[in-house]
Amino acid sequence: MSKTGTVNIQIVTGDARPIFKQIVDGIRMQIAHGDLQTGDKLPSVRGLAMQLTINANTVAKAYAELTAQGLAEARQGLGLFVAEPRQLLSEEEKNKRLNTAIETFVNDVVYLQIPEEDIKARLSEALTKIGRLKNTPKQDS
Amino acid sequence: MQNCIETNGLTKKFGKKTALKDFDLTVELGGIHAIVGSNGAGKSTLFRLLLGVTTPTSGSAMLLGNDCQSLTPDVRGRVGYVNEEHTLPAWMTAGSVKKFQQSFYPQWNENIYKSVVGYFDVDPKQKVSGLSRGERAGLNLAMALAQSPNLLILDEPTLGLDVVARQSFLEAVMFTETEGNTTIIYCSHQMEEIERVADKLIIMEKGVLQNNSSPDAFVSRISYWIADFGGKMPAREKIPGFLSARDIDGIHHVMVADQDKSFGSVLTQLGATAVTPNTVNLERAVNAFLTKNHNTPGSINAGSQG
Repeated sequence: MSKTGTVNIQIVTGDARPIFKQIVDGIRMQIAHGDLQTGDKLPSVRGLAMQLTINANTVAKAYAELTAQGLAEARQGLGLFVAEPRQLLSEEEKNKRLNTAIETFVNDVVYLQIPEEDIKARLSEALTKIGRLKNTPKQDS
Repeated sequence: MQNCIETNGLTKKFGKKTALKDFDLTVELGGIHAIVGSNGAGKSTLFRLLLGVTTPTSGSAMLLGNDCQSLTPDVRGRVGYVNEEHTLPAWMTAGSVKKFQQSFYPQWNENIYKSVVGYFDVDPKQKVSGLSRGERAGLNLAMALAQSPNLLILDEPTLGLDVVARQSFLEAVMFTETEGNTTIIYCSHQMEEIERVADKLIIMEKGVLQNNSSPDAFVSRISYWIADFGGKMPAREKIPGFLSARDIDGIHHVMVADQDKSFGSVLTQLGATAVTPNTVNLERAVNAFLTKNHNTPGSINAGSQG
């Protein structure tokens, strides 16, 4: 039996990102950090809607997007589960997203006046750590 | 499929004033439909026409498949209404108000009543005059939902509620298990509420329907551009989809509707240098729409305003 994962995300209103997008980003982040692992069951649509005090259809939309991105898969009558990692995005889309992420990152760190080598080292450390987490074997409970 | 609400060319004039103009609105069954509009946008007129208490100058309106001009008591009984006043007879106890209301509705659902009122801590023995505004709002909502209406109109229901009562109210609206399909019309000026609750966002401005889509789809219609025209902006008629513009420190901030990424080159052709696209949130997008025909200050000098 797979366990039901805890979705620990906050949503804010008044953001330029719509709420469903915030949910997608939040869950994707939790998967990347290993807080949610392959085979974990995601909360029910109604459950997550109640947790975040939002319309259930917004959660359903976020779940559809996660499914389309290959991060989650529906099992008939059982709910939605974190999927085996696989890549459904096109090369072009991957590149676009990488560019956006780099731009944001560079913008955020440039004024800190930390030596470039230090930044690179820290970045590579963080990437290694996430790589390790993602490769941790799944624990059945 | 039958729609909850359908109006065709609905027009209502009061003397020279047009309160509603060629209004074509379709509201599907089910879901929460938020209506936003400035004061005087025609919301009350629309409700009065829908409930058949006033007659249109021209056009037609259908409510749950029935012509609004000949609604039977049965159809009217399937519509619930809660407004911001939350007025209830002050001398009655909460319990007797509920009993009184219940007697009019044979399809009254006691489980729904209990589950909604449970969000609010209303003591049935308490007199209405002793209830807080939040408790009265809760009692009203509980009674409206227990009637199992097919259409529930909530007109600024959370106005003046504290954060706790507001949270309870939203939860009760969204998560109460109702039998069948209650379509909810939710009027509000609170964008954070609309973002949380709305499936559809209906925008009215000066009696004209401006939008009827999901809030996300609406926001994506609006874009915000910061452009340097060297201090002098071209005439607004030349800017496609123009909604509003402000001059901040000599740079123009322009809000437009229904333009794609190529709009940047439109601005460049109009003489702008250094064009930067920006994103907007729901509140700014809605405000831009509601203020588009209003006068904007010609120039704002952020420096002198402190």
